[in-house]
Amino acid sequence: MNKTVYVRLKHRIQAKPNERITLNKIAKIIADEALISKMGDQIIHQIQSKDKTYVVIDVINVIEKIQSIDPSLDVQPVGPTQTIVEIQNHRKKFAPVLFFLVWLLLFVGSALTIMNFHEDVSMQRMHRNLYQFFTGNKIDKPLILQIPYSIGLGLGMVLFFNHVFKKKFNEEPSPLEVEIFNYQMDLDQYIAINENKESVKNDDD
Amino acid sequence: MLLFTGFAGGLAVGCGFVAFLSVLGIIPRLMQLTKTIKWIRLYEWAVILGAVSGGWFSLSPVYLHASHYWFIPIGLLYGIFVGMLAAALTEVLNVFPILAKRIGIDDKIVMLMMAIVLGKICGSLFHWLYFAGL
Repeated sequence: MNKTVYVRLKHRIQAKPNERITLNKIAKIIADEALISKMGDQIIHQIQSKDKTYVVIDVINVIEKIQSIDPSLDVQPVGPTQTIVEIQNHRKKFAPVLFFLVWLLLFVGSALTIMNFHEDVSMQRMHRNLYQFFTGNKIDKPLILQIPYSIGLGLGMVLFFNHVFKKKFNEEPSPLEVEIFNYQMDLDQYIAINENKESVKNDDD
Repeated sequence: MLLFTGFAGGLAVGCGFVAFLSVLGIIPRLMQLTKTIKWIRLYEWAVILGAVSGGWFSLSPVYLHASHYWFIPIGLLYGIFVGMLAAALTEVLNVFPILAKRIGIDDKIVMLMMAIVLGKICGSLFHWLYFAGL
């Protein structure tokens, strides 16, 4: 019988409160058929209310668990060294009122910001000069320049975030998606180190 | 002496302009969208020529006597450029990821973005149509 066990922990999983987290759920295991069926149902962690939102399971606990079945097994960890378990106990519900308030905040805020910006850089005067430069005439409100400009303003932002034209151009992620991903990775890294009992000494443990 | 001062001033402003553009990463973004990375040199020249000719025209008293319908495409391009600048600035400040995480609306983020986009358009139109005349 082949005694080598390869374990690849998942980066991040979601679990319900009071769920029993088995080896199968947090890791992909390559080993002898009989071994897998024996190990897969082993409980690595029982979620309790004191776990709050996140539990980090370190690879060392998994190795310990596997070797408690058969100490002669050679466990080879591959990939992430810990799994972040996100407990969905108080799943945030989507609040339409809150969302509407945020929407309004962003809408009014960005409208006033752009007006401030225009005043700040004396754009009206600049547009008048531009109009005079191109046509030789002087007018007070060069709206023929300013209305396309306003539409282009929105178009440029949409173009930058690449949401509307996503399907048309390519499947590359938009900067926003990359940004959210990076933020999530930073959070995960923080949790992985700070919630991990193996890497932080906790007095209350 | 004046020659040197002018040259030094221009050098500093030019460096600042290019540094600002590269921090915001608009040109890489456009190249990524259009898949034209091989023409990066030409894009650099577009920025340089644009800045130099803009500087020249704004300082010399020349009039082109062109039709004012030229302003429709020019205004549109102008707006798109400023819009991309604004979007890039928002993105640098990391507003969206944090906001989305805080109120837990990861899937509605497009709508939040549209709030900013529409806000910009409405604010700008309001400014030119009414506010500027006050």
